[in-house]
Amino acid sequence: MGSFNLGKMTLGSMFKKPETIQYPAQTRFVPVGLKGHVAIDMQVCILCGICMKRCTTSAITVDKPARIWEIDRFRCVQCGYCIAECPKDCLFMEPSYAPAATAKSIEVFEKPAEELDEAAEEAQAAKEAEKAARVKAALEAKAAREAQKAKDDPAEAPKTARA
Amino acid sequence: MGKASVIPFGPQHPVLPEPLHLDLVVEDETVIEAIPQIGFVHRGLEKLVETRDFNQFIYVAERICGICAFGHSLGYAETVEQLMQVEVPKRAEYLRVIWHEMSRIHSHLLWMGLAADAFGFESLFMHCWRLRERVLDLFEATTGGRVILSVVKVGGVARDITDDMFRKIQDTLNGIKGEYGQICKTFLNDYSVKNRTVGVGVIDEEAARSQCMVGPFARASNVNNDIRIFGNGAYGELDGFEPILDTQGDCYARVKVRALEVLQSIEIVNELIGKIPAGEVAVEMKGAPADGAEAASVLEQPRGECYYYARGNGTKYLERMRMRTPTSQNIAGMTTALAGCDLADVNMIVLTIDPCISCTER
Amino acid sequence: MSLNVSFLPLAVKDLPSCARSRKDEGWRLVQMLCVRTEKGTDLIYSFMKDDALENYTIKDVKGGMEIPSISESFLNAFVFENEAHDLFGVQVTDIAIDFAGKFYAVSQSEPMTVISPAQKEAREKAAKIAAAKAAKEAKGATGGSTPEAAKSARPARAKNAAPAANVPRPAKGGASAGKTQKEGE
Repeated sequence: MGSFNLGKMTLGSMFKKPETIQYPAQTRFVPVGLKGHVAIDMQVCILCGICMKRCTTSAITVDKPARIWEIDRFRCVQCGYCIAECPKDCLFMEPSYAPAATAKSIEVFEKPAEELDEAAEEAQAAKEAEKAARVKAALEAKAAREAQKAKDDPAEAPKTARA
Repeated sequence: MGKASVIPFGPQHPVLPEPLHLDLVVEDETVIEAIPQIGFVHRGLEKLVETRDFNQFIYVAERICGICAFGHSLGYAETVEQLMQVEVPKRAEYLRVIWHEMSRIHSHLLWMGLAADAFGFESLFMHCWRLRERVLDLFEATTGGRVILSVVKVGGVARDITDDMFRKIQDTLNGIKGEYGQICKTFLNDYSVKNRTVGVGVIDEEAARSQCMVGPFARASNVNNDIRIFGNGAYGELDGFEPILDTQGDCYARVKVRALEVLQSIEIVNELIGKIPAGEVAVEMKGAPADGAEAASVLEQPRGECYYYARGNGTKYLERMRMRTPTSQNIAGMTTALAGCDLADVNMIVLTIDPCISCTER
Repeated sequence: MSLNVSFLPLAVKDLPSCARSRKDEGWRLVQMLCVRTEKGTDLIYSFMKDDALENYTIKDVKGGMEIPSISESFLNAFVFENEAHDLFGVQVTDIAIDFAGKFYAVSQSEPMTVISPAQKEAREKAAKIAAAKAAKEAKGATGGSTPEAAKSARPARAKNAAPAANVPRPAKGGASAGKTQKEGE
């Protein structure tokens, strides 16, 4: 039997503080920037849906007409890609892990409807009318261009919109 | 002359970190032949590249394996950057190598714990993993994750490290050297450890070269195949990097090579922290890989040389992404090392190739 | 020293002699991989020695073609060749340790030859954009007018709707015992 090489460490570990803590009675110090769970500031969110397209595991669903942003915490792997891609920077990572549960669930966030005063409502209506007028003008211009082209080059097969 | 019988080893076995099946043809406690079988963890991750664009795929590449997680994300990012001909900033290269060397430290400490567990020395196993926790705490503080770091992105890294944090990294790594020294002494000088590892599973240099073995498994048989000497990334900024070699070729030599590599990695991290330049940590990635473009790169992961190949097809999805991991090369070497050994030594030999079967099968 | 990576073409009939000569000169086999393209399968063998990494590409291997194994020169090739057979359907003959299709017990044979719909859609879109660009350049050479340029730019906007990246999710109607949270701030 040779000498016990680990003697010093073994003896030391009998008297030192244990390496483990009494979780959940005691909790560990949580470092800043820990990838815990994804959180959203719904006031800033514009429901564009980019986070839904970029999510690696398809954990996010955005429903613009219903003004809802959902995340399936059990599918999310906290990769942070949605946070990096959000154009309004309304997503961020909070340093606490999503709690364990006995059933899978989806967390739903609703964007509150904006309450506009009269002036703001009129301005919005005017903006929408202007947009409609612009679209109509563009379509008419396109139709005119097509007609002109058909007149100029009757031999060439007209390039219709690609299927 | 005894009768030959076949003993199945695995896929579930206390010594294996990942499922691997071996059919051991045994005659009177001596293994004549071993036939490996893998495929228990095949998840088809290389096929996922078709439905995840090249930015999203980095998160898939990380999750191929928990131990080599950072290595795979680094190799993937380097290959796609080569494909799209993008140059990452210097500071990002230094940060990547610092994290990669810390990943090597944690991987070798994990392996040493498993090796101790393989020959039954459980308290040594616990001490190794206790030291490893210090490195994982560093990962958590710098990147936000303990095992899956998610800090590399195509074009650089996602986070920076402040000077205070660098000091903390250096203090922690230099602080574990004292206890690590005692662990090394036990591994290399203890009578019972020597009994289980010296002269076991010998592979001479000739066989190692013909089997094309990689990593510390081969370096213990005096085959110098460390990719870090080629100086990709910030490895080129190191002065006097010499791979650690050993000539004995048995399990004891493999333990020794890995134990010394941990100390070497601590020195590398110290050196790079001293030299890191200021600057940006990422470049903006625009566009997609060109049609027909291909790129190949190699990376020295803790287990050996890992080869990455990428081919683009003009869309944001890569046409093909291939990661050839070191364990798939070493399986042939393991099969020859097992021929002629004692049944009780099978544990030790299988473990000394540092099997990472989830990497092998993706 | 730095690593020199090169890509070289190779023919199937030259494969055994190439492998043997590499082995004799002291090169080691790094890996063998397959890429599935529209025309067939490409095989890439990589060899490495000192500071050179050479990748030999065998292009367009069709279904019934037989590829000789190199596992007599390099035993460790058996892992890659079995994988090529199981996942890509490449017929490799005389492998040293041949698992005859049982190496990976996959439920669908040759899974890597199946193209997923999202990838197909993305490829078609890219092909259209490339064709339009080529047509635009050809027209530009013969002095085309602006409507052509406008027409060729249009397909890039037309197919924006497909969120191709997402894997189809199971219907979430009945599954969730979801708690609805109203954002309090």
